[in-house]
Amino acid sequence: MWRIWMLFDPRRALVALFVFLFVLALVIHFILLSTDRFNWLKPHPATAAVTAVLPATVGSGSK
Amino acid sequence: MADDKRSSLSGLTEHEAREFHRIFVVSFLVFTAIAVVAHILVWQWRPWL
Repeated sequence: MWRIWMLFDPRRALVALFVFLFVLALVIHFILLSTDRFNWLKPHPATAAVTAVLPATVGSGSK
Repeated sequence: MADDKRSSLSGLTEHEAREFHRIFVVSFLVFTAIAVVAHILVWQWRPWL
């Protein structure tokens, strides 16, 4: 596996990897911020407790 | 042909490639461990499944 560094220049590979991870992290964080449930800056009380509500609604909705 | 150790595409010698790979793997494992801890904490905060 180490032979990969005989093919790819580590400096370029590291820059590419860091840029990719940074952009990916940025995208994921902004997606989470755009939701009600996972927005940690402005939490939504109603959607935050959705796991407690979900079993009751599933149970009552079956019949 | 005489200097085979410098004939790789990246210009690294075998020793340099092994050395870099060791650092790369350790860094990757540390990064993964931190990510796993972060995911466990977020799951405790609000599970997503």
